[in-house]
Amino acid sequence: MPAVITADHLTKRFGKKVLAVDDVSFTIADGTITGVLGPNGAGKTTTLRMILDLVRPTAGSVTILGSRYRDLRAPAARVGALLDSAGFHPGRSGRNALRVIATGAGVSDARVDETLEMVELAKDGKRAVKGYSTGMKQRLALAAALLGDPEVLILDEPANGLDPEGMLWLRTFLRAQAAEGKTVLVSSHVLAEVEQTVDDVLIMSKGKLLAQGPISTLTASTQPVVRVRTPQAEKLETALLSAGAGVNRLNDALAVRGPTAAEVGELAHAQGVALHELLTEQPSLEELFLQIAGTRREQ
Amino acid sequence: MIALVRAELLKLRSTRTALGLFIAILVATLVPLTLIIALVPRSWLETDGVTGFLNAASALVPLVLLVFGILGMTNEYRHGTITYSYLVTPRRWQVMVVKLAVYAVVGIVTMLIAVVLVYLVIRVGGAVRGIDIDATGGNTLGDYARTVIVAGLITTFGVALGALFRAQVITVAGTLIWALFVENIIVVLKPRIGMWMPFTVFNNVSAAQVPSSDNAVVAVEQLSRSTAFLVSLVYIALVSLLAVFISLRRDVT
Repeated sequence: MPAVITADHLTKRFGKKVLAVDDVSFTIADGTITGVLGPNGAGKTTTLRMILDLVRPTAGSVTILGSRYRDLRAPAARVGALLDSAGFHPGRSGRNALRVIATGAGVSDARVDETLEMVELAKDGKRAVKGYSTGMKQRLALAAALLGDPEVLILDEPANGLDPEGMLWLRTFLRAQAAEGKTVLVSSHVLAEVEQTVDDVLIMSKGKLLAQGPISTLTASTQPVVRVRTPQAEKLETALLSAGAGVNRLNDALAVRGPTAAEVGELAHAQGVALHELLTEQPSLEELFLQIAGTRREQ
Repeated sequence: MIALVRAELLKLRSTRTALGLFIAILVATLVPLTLIIALVPRSWLETDGVTGFLNAASALVPLVLLVFGILGMTNEYRHGTITYSYLVTPRRWQVMVVKLAVYAVVGIVTMLIAVVLVYLVIRVGGAVRGIDIDATGGNTLGDYARTVIVAGLITTFGVALGALFRAQVITVAGTLIWALFVENIIVVLKPRIGMWMPFTVFNNVSAAQVPSSDNAVVAVEQLSRSTAFLVSLVYIALVSLLAVFISLRRDVT
């Protein structure tokens, strides 16, 4: 698949002290949903803004659809963006806020109404934005990103302010966009939020790119976790730690890294510990992130 | 560029800021002017030079336009709409040039309306009270043209200041304090420097300036209207260019 976005040694420094993005290189393939994951302050937003030419890189370069964003012809028709910093005048109606953007982009009022329908805001389009809830503002911002029916969507924390119903709506929406062949780059600091949606992930922390690839490949390359439930959790934990395993304990449950389930079972048997549950799990995205971040810290 | 102009005009039409501007101008000029013409004694209205004073009713308009220009730009940063402006038109100089131009036209049209309204109120008021007043206050058509053009450019000056400083309250308050107090102090203490200060120069262009009195406490030095007009153009061009240049380099975070 051809690359839609290519970042090459991208670096951004704010002043002398803050290194927001540190020598990050990656490619985003056509027609995929890619999650940019990491805690607050990881450099996700700055990276997305550099892709969109809102923030100028200190070093390195980034291209989208084969050129710099600023060199794209009719960019709104090719790239749609939802950014945390972008907002709407509170005194303007939702529909007029979109019309302002659409007029500048050469998009018709009919398309404005169409996108309001898509994000289920048609009934509220004539209300002033100041009366919108956070979730409604997020959907309005999503409508703004969709105005030009772009090939690429760049969404910075789109789930912010959404209730569980809104999150489900967003997941369905993103899947529908991918089904139409659009490329979606979506950032989040809540890993579970995007776990069910994305194909690939970029994992960032402290300005650095820690890992990139399909979730399945990344999880395959990391250690599985053995889950154990036992009434003698403390005793088993001590034995496992003595054997060199990594252990996290919560009440009667243990998450064990290192030994296989069979090895854990045998150790428990040798210690005379009764097991109520023993199973092997691939790590979740959250655990994957913690493992990768932890490994890098140790290095 | 046409699409950008249309978007900019839609921005003005779709909030109450522009409507508020017109109401502020009407209140600031016509209400005191009408009251003066209606209530002061006839003998005072027949005094030489009174029409110059009455014309000064429109002197507040450029100040309102200046604030309007600052709000037009700082609102973009305050509400984050600048992000969409740059996403739709990543060549930022186009966004800035269109904004400066649109606000210049709005300022010119607004000042024109204000000047015409002031002229009409003086004419009608004079006729009602049976006094023959020269409603132009001695201004030529050229004076009026310069006044109207500079008012438009002062609006762009506000936009440029907004682009340079971004913080709305600080820019509005700082500009008004500078224009109304600091420059006047400089003019009084150091008249040879003061007469070159931007707002003093803009004011010198205005056809609505109050004529100086022979027995004034402080002798005020000022540039001729045509020189002040040229210096105004230089000031506004420099600040506008600086605003465009800084907008090109600034990160939108």
